[in-house]
Amino acid sequence: MGFTTRAIHAPFLRKDPHGSLHMPIYESVSFEFETAEEIEEAFLGKRPRHMYTRISNPTVEHLEQKIKYISGALAVVAVSSGMAAIADTFLSIARQGDNVITTKYVFGNTYSLLEKTLGPWGLEVRYADLSRPDTIEALVDDRTRAVFFETITNPQLEVADIRALSAVARKHRLLLIADTTVTPLYFFQSKDFGVDIEVLLSTKLISGGATTVGGIIIDNGTYDWRHNPKLEQEARRYGPFTLVTKLKREVFRNTGGCLAPHSAYLQSIGLETLALRADRSCENTMAIARHLAQDPRVQRVNYPGLETSLYHGVAKGIFGERCGALLTFDLASKKDGFAFLNKLKLIRRATNINDNKTLAIHPSSTIFCEYPDELKRQMGVPDTLIRLSVGIEDLEDLQADIEQALGA
Amino acid sequence: MKIKVNGAVQEIETRLSVADLLVRNNVEQPELVSVQLNGEFVQRDRCSAMMLKENDEVDFLYFMGGGA
Repeated sequence: MGFTTRAIHAPFLRKDPHGSLHMPIYESVSFEFETAEEIEEAFLGKRPRHMYTRISNPTVEHLEQKIKYISGALAVVAVSSGMAAIADTFLSIARQGDNVITTKYVFGNTYSLLEKTLGPWGLEVRYADLSRPDTIEALVDDRTRAVFFETITNPQLEVADIRALSAVARKHRLLLIADTTVTPLYFFQSKDFGVDIEVLLSTKLISGGATTVGGIIIDNGTYDWRHNPKLEQEARRYGPFTLVTKLKREVFRNTGGCLAPHSAYLQSIGLETLALRADRSCENTMAIARHLAQDPRVQRVNYPGLETSLYHGVAKGIFGERCGALLTFDLASKKDGFAFLNKLKLIRRATNINDNKTLAIHPSSTIFCEYPDELKRQMGVPDTLIRLSVGIEDLEDLQADIEQALGA
Repeated sequence: MKIKVNGAVQEIETRLSVADLLVRNNVEQPELVSVQLNGEFVQRDRCSAMMLKENDEVDFLYFMGGGA
């Protein structure tokens, strides 16, 4: 079955008593039991029952099962946001003194989570050039627990050679964690490329038009958790279910980043049209990138779908013709960038990606505003950069708006 | 022979595999359960070949459990 067929016809775990075609929204905090013995068994994990919505909920569970059904993953945990997905994953796999290897090109809030939030608690973050896997190897030691990367970094649009990263991770028995937010599910099969864990923002393409905030943790079931000292005891009892058990019975439960049932409902419906929206937005992005690349007022255009991108070959090998819906371009100055943004009539000035609407932003003065200029330079976020997250509007209307906004 | 299933003693017939025990106990949603034999995880594809012995302890555990 194809992606969209599976997304639309994913089965329910339990038959709905009224024959509902959509999993209803179970907007209830708590669920009752017939007997004290049943509730005891449920608390001990010996009976599959929902007890309390912070921990599990039928509507949220349906979203998890739907993603599992589509992706073929071992287990899926839906959480309140993409940042919660990343935080819960790191809190589960590492302890004080451990380190993870990533790139300075990670999303601004992810960088802040690693450096400002988890760093002071004892997680060390090491930065490599992920386009050169040998730079990862030089950083690995016996406290390294994972390599973390984004499939397409935002806003640098660097595309990692995932198979090369996987080879390094396998060699050193490290967990390979991919943030697949801009290339979720439909774009590629992460398991085939050696990714162990996916974290992603369901807020973006999954939610179906930026309706709700959410995050997803996908465990492909490919990592042997006995290689992680923090989890080796659990691994003896739970085998491939080690991470999901750690999350559900400790970290996710205790940190409280649960997804609201109403959000899960909307995201479950959003999944059904993900492929249609992804195809349309990628086609629009490619056309706009080609158009901007010919425009003399534009200094530089960056999109992995363009042959001029350093990462075009790698991106094509992983994602085929769908290289995402983010593109960036440089104008002559920050002033020119602001003038462009202020002239836009159709495209919205907003910080989000993969909405149905096309959105534009100046990353340096917004998402990365808290960092000094030198760090922004290292992060690949110059003052001249404009980011477009291309939506699914009619292409001619988008092109006309960009054209008039670039005008004098 | 006697074994323990989720902490409770059960009298079972001989020549029973872990997979048979899942069926015998009407384990709900077996795709969501992790099976442990004497405290060790049992791979799903080994459940049919793994035969139970006197005094074995088998636990069926779901990862949705909580504590609110």
